[in-house]
Amino acid sequence: MLEVKNLKAQINNKEILKGLNLAIKPGEVHAIMGPNGSGKSTLSNILSGKKGYTVSGEVKYFNENLLDLKIEERAHKGLFLAFQYPLEIPGVNTNIFLKTSLNAIKKAKGKKELDAIEFLKLVKQKAAELKFDEKILSRQLNVGFSGGEKKKNEILQMSILNPKLSILDETDSGLDIDAIKIVSEGVNALRSKESSFLIITHYQRLLNYIKPDFVHVLINGKIVKSGGAELALELESKGYESLS
Amino acid sequence: MIEKLKIDFDKIIGSLKLSNKDIESRKKNLYQFVENGFPNKRIEDWKFSDLNQIISSSIDSLRFHSDLTPSETDKTIFIDKFEHNKIIFTNGVISDIDFSHEDEAKVLLTKDLDQNEDFKEVNSLVSLNNAFVSNYIRVTVKENYSLNKPLIVYNVTTKDLKFTAINLKMDIILEKNSCLKLISLFDDSSENNFINIVQNYDLGQDAILKNYKIDNKENFNIKYFYNNINLEKNSISENFIYSTGSKFIKNEINCNLNDQYSSAFINGIINLKNSQHHEIKTNINHLAENTKSYQLIKSVLSDKAKGIYQGKIYVDAKAQKTNGYQLSKALLLNENTEFNGKPELEIYADDVKCSHGSTSGNLDEDSIFYLMSRGLSNKESKELLINGFLLDAVEKITDLEIKNLIKNMIGIKE
Repeated sequence: MLEVKNLKAQINNKEILKGLNLAIKPGEVHAIMGPNGSGKSTLSNILSGKKGYTVSGEVKYFNENLLDLKIEERAHKGLFLAFQYPLEIPGVNTNIFLKTSLNAIKKAKGKKELDAIEFLKLVKQKAAELKFDEKILSRQLNVGFSGGEKKKNEILQMSILNPKLSILDETDSGLDIDAIKIVSEGVNALRSKESSFLIITHYQRLLNYIKPDFVHVLINGKIVKSGGAELALELESKGYESLS
Repeated sequence: MIEKLKIDFDKIIGSLKLSNKDIESRKKNLYQFVENGFPNKRIEDWKFSDLNQIISSSIDSLRFHSDLTPSETDKTIFIDKFEHNKIIFTNGVISDIDFSHEDEAKVLLTKDLDQNEDFKEVNSLVSLNNAFVSNYIRVTVKENYSLNKPLIVYNVTTKDLKFTAINLKMDIILEKNSCLKLISLFDDSSENNFINIVQNYDLGQDAILKNYKIDNKENFNIKYFYNNINLEKNSISENFIYSTGSKFIKNEINCNLNDQYSSAFINGIINLKNSQHHEIKTNINHLAENTKSYQLIKSVLSDKAKGIYQGKIYVDAKAQKTNGYQLSKALLLNENTEFNGKPELEIYADDVKCSHGSTSGNLDEDSIFYLMSRGLSNKESKELLINGFLLDAVEKITDLEIKNLIKNMIGIKE
C-alpha cells in the first residue's frame, strides 16, 4: 500500500532525509527506530503532508502519488498520523471535533455521515475499549489533558477513523507503563489484514507490546538496516552506535 | 454643512412641541457641535477612528432631518421561537411597542421628548444627538420587578433611507432590585447613513441589567453608540457586544461604579472583513470600594479590516479593594488587517487588583495542520479554530437562552 523510493527532504537548506526506501504491505506493522535527529519525525510529517519541506523522490500510496495529495485528502484515503505532540485547540469541543473529522472522511468517501446519536454510540464504545474516560470528550480538545490523555486521545481518534495506514510518531514518549499497555492494546485491536502501521520510536519498549513484522533503523536520513522484531532487541542491547 | 445644520435644526424644532428651556438647551448643544464638528484623529479618543474623514469620504451631503414618511414595521425581522417584548425603531422613528408579556404597572414607558435637562458637555456627537433627537423612549422597571421575557429593541433601516443622520435616545431605569434582559438588534437595508444612538442606564441598588448589542447584518452605515451606565450598590451590569455588520461602528461605554459591590462586565466580539472598521471604547470608573469590572474582547480581522479596542480603567482614591480586569485578543488573518489596542489604567487607590493584557497574531499553522490531518479542509479547520477562539467571550453570556441565540447568529456549533 505504501512504497517510498529514494525520498529526500530538506528544510531550511538542511538535508534531513537522504534517500529513504520503504515498502509497507497491507496488514504489516513496521517499526522505524533511530537516534535523535535521524529524520524520524520528518518522515512522518512528509507522509502526512506538513508544509515547509523541499521533497524529492517518490511515495506511492495505493498506486497514487501521495506527495500530490492535499493533507486532508490523505486523511480521506485512510492515512492517519498519531502526533508526537498533539496540539491543544482551545474552544473546540473534543466530541464535536471527532464528529466533524469522522464525517469529513465519510463524506469524502461518499458514505453516509453519522448523526449525533449514532456518533455518540460509536464514541462510547471506542472510549470504553480504550479505558478512556468519556468525560474528557466533552472538554476542549487536548486542553489541560495530561500527556497520557493526549496520547490516548490520538489512539481514540485512530480507532474511530479506522485508517488503512497509521503512523505513530513516538506515541510512547512521555507515557508510563500502564498507559503504554492501554495504548498498545488499542493499536493491537486495530490490527487486521487490511490495516498497516508505521511505528516510530526511540526505544524498544513499545515493541514489547506491539510486535512489529519489520524493524528498520534510520540513521542520518537513511535506513541503514532492516530486519525482524529481533533487530529491536539487538539495538536495545548494543545501541545505535554499532550501526553508524 | 453649518447652514444645512441650522435649517434642519429649525425644521426639527418646528415639528416638535418643546418647552423654551428645552429649545435653549438644544441650541447650546447645536453650537457645541457646530464648534467642534465630527471628531477627527487629532482628538486622543478618536486617533484610531477619524470619523470626520470617514463620514466625508462616504457621504457627500448629510441630512440632519429625514422627510421620509414613517414606514410600517417589517414583522419578518422578528426573532421567532423566542418570546420577547419589543420596541421597534424604523428609520429612527418608533414604529411599534409591545410589552404584552409584562405587568403594565411595573414597566413604565414614556416618549416625552422634553428632557428638561441642563446642558452637559460629553462630546460633540452626544451634543449632536441632544440637539436633534426626535424619537426617544424611557423604560422604567419598577422596584422588585423582573421582566418575564427579554426586551428586544429592533433598530431597522429601509433601503430608501440615504445620506441621513439619525439621532436616537433611550433611557433605561432599573429601580431597586429589578431586572431586565435587553437585546439591541440592528437590521439595516440602507447605506451611507450616520446613526447616532445615546443610551443611558441607571441601575438602582441590587438591580441587574443584561445588555446584549448585536450588529450582525452586513450594511454600509456609519454608527456611533454612546452608552452611559450608572450603577448603585450591589447592582450588576452585564454587557455583550457582537460587532460585525456595519461599515463603521464606534461603541463607547462609560460606566460608573458609584457604590459598593457594584460590578460591570463588558465582553465582546469584533468580527470584520473587507474594509470594515469597528471600535470598542470603554471607560470604567471605579468610584467606590469593593467594585468589580471585567472586560474580554475578541477580534477576528480579515481582508483590509481594522479593529480597535481602547479600554480604560479608572480607580478613584476612595475605591479601595477594586478588582479590575481587561483582556483583548485579536486574530489577524491577513497582513493588510490592522488592530489597535490601547489599555489604560489610571489608579489612585493603593489596595486594588487590576490587570490588563493584549495579544494579536495569526492562526497557528501547526493547529491547522493537526485538524487537516484529521480530514478537515483548510477552510473548515480555520473556521473551527476561529470559533474556538471566539467561544470564551460568548461563554461569558450568563443567560442561557440568549447565549444560544447569539451562538447561532455567530455560527458556533455545538
